[in-house]
Amino acid sequence: MLKKNVENKYWVKNFLYLFFFLIIIWLALTSTFQWEELIVGILISFLLALFLNKNYLKLGFPPLSIKRIAVSIVYFIVLFFEIIKANFDVAYRVIHPKMPIKPGIVVIKTGLKQDIAKMILANSITLTPGTFTLDIIEDKLLIHWINVKTEGLEEATKIIGERFEKYLKVIFA
Amino acid sequence: MRKIFSVILLIIICWGIILSLYKIPFGIPKTKVGEYYLNKGKEETGAANIVTSVVLNYRGFDTLGEVTVLFIAAIGLGAVLATLKKKGKRKVEQASLILYTGCRFLFPLILLFGAYVFIHGHLTPGGGFQGGAIIASAFVLVYLGCRGKRINEVSSKTTESLGGLIFIVIGLIGLAIGGHYFLSNFLPKGELNTLFSAGIIPIIYIAIGFKVGSELAGVIDNLFEES
Repeated sequence: MLKKNVENKYWVKNFLYLFFFLIIIWLALTSTFQWEELIVGILISFLLALFLNKNYLKLGFPPLSIKRIAVSIVYFIVLFFEIIKANFDVAYRVIHPKMPIKPGIVVIKTGLKQDIAKMILANSITLTPGTFTLDIIEDKLLIHWINVKTEGLEEATKIIGERFEKYLKVIFA
Repeated sequence: MRKIFSVILLIIICWGIILSLYKIPFGIPKTKVGEYYLNKGKEETGAANIVTSVVLNYRGFDTLGEVTVLFIAAIGLGAVLATLKKKGKRKVEQASLILYTGCRFLFPLILLFGAYVFIHGHLTPGGGFQGGAIIASAFVLVYLGCRGKRINEVSSKTTESLGGLIFIVIGLIGLAIGGHYFLSNFLPKGELNTLFSAGIIPIIYIAIGFKVGSELAGVIDNLFEES
């Protein structure tokens, strides 16, 4: 009985998460508040969320809170500036006549537990030019780096992963 | 000698093309029917997207043919590949965590986008075929990311058949009570540029969306069986 209750709780959480995402995307696509559009959007989102929330069961979304939303917004701004910074860095390496690159693959560690958090970290690393996530194995990320500064696990983690992970740790705590 | 000859040949060809294109007046439609669609299309069909009104109303019968061609192609592929014995549960290597998580996260969102495209076929560029292709792409993502999962063949075929059936039944109802041709608009046309407008066009496009989506997903399923 207790187990079923726990499952029900997760079910509601996943349902609400998926419904929330779908409604936001629908509103962004239609960009209007006409009642017909709203009704159809809510209907479709409800049906999709009803049938497909099982996939969301193990992704590991955290409970919503104002602090988490605020940190997520900060995270996106940080990510944006990291991308711009890395773009300039890679452009410099491309334009420089000597082409100062030192490509190689390094391994970094992550303390994140949830699948979705690991995916966001990996995609953030991929989005910043110069670093590219090849694979995730358990808590290790394989990274292709355009300019390998260090091969040590700890230092590489500090340089590549830490700048994103400190925010993600707060969001997915 | 050869170079001079080729230059002369080039000049002759260019001269011929210029002569023939020179005669065509620029910016004036040559056919009357295009003008008719542009001027009367909105009032007659109620669809804000003229292309949709042509595809599903003036030339609805043609679209039925297109849908049938796709259907026959899917059937043919199934018939060719079905001669191979179906293996049971395939042994597959697990996709990487990034792809696996992304697939689970994105699948419903892609389905929503596909639904948006085919529901708004009469208002925005897009429609049943495009929306169906987007929905099929969501299934490709599932095949790539969540390997070992298969679509339910029975429900896929049922959806496909229902989509085709709705198309034909609505077309025949239009023929019977609406007017003099297949797919004539017998529902109220509503206000232009709102979601519930254009009579039967959105319904037909939703049917086509489901049909094309399940058909393409079935084709992909067949091809994956092969690989």
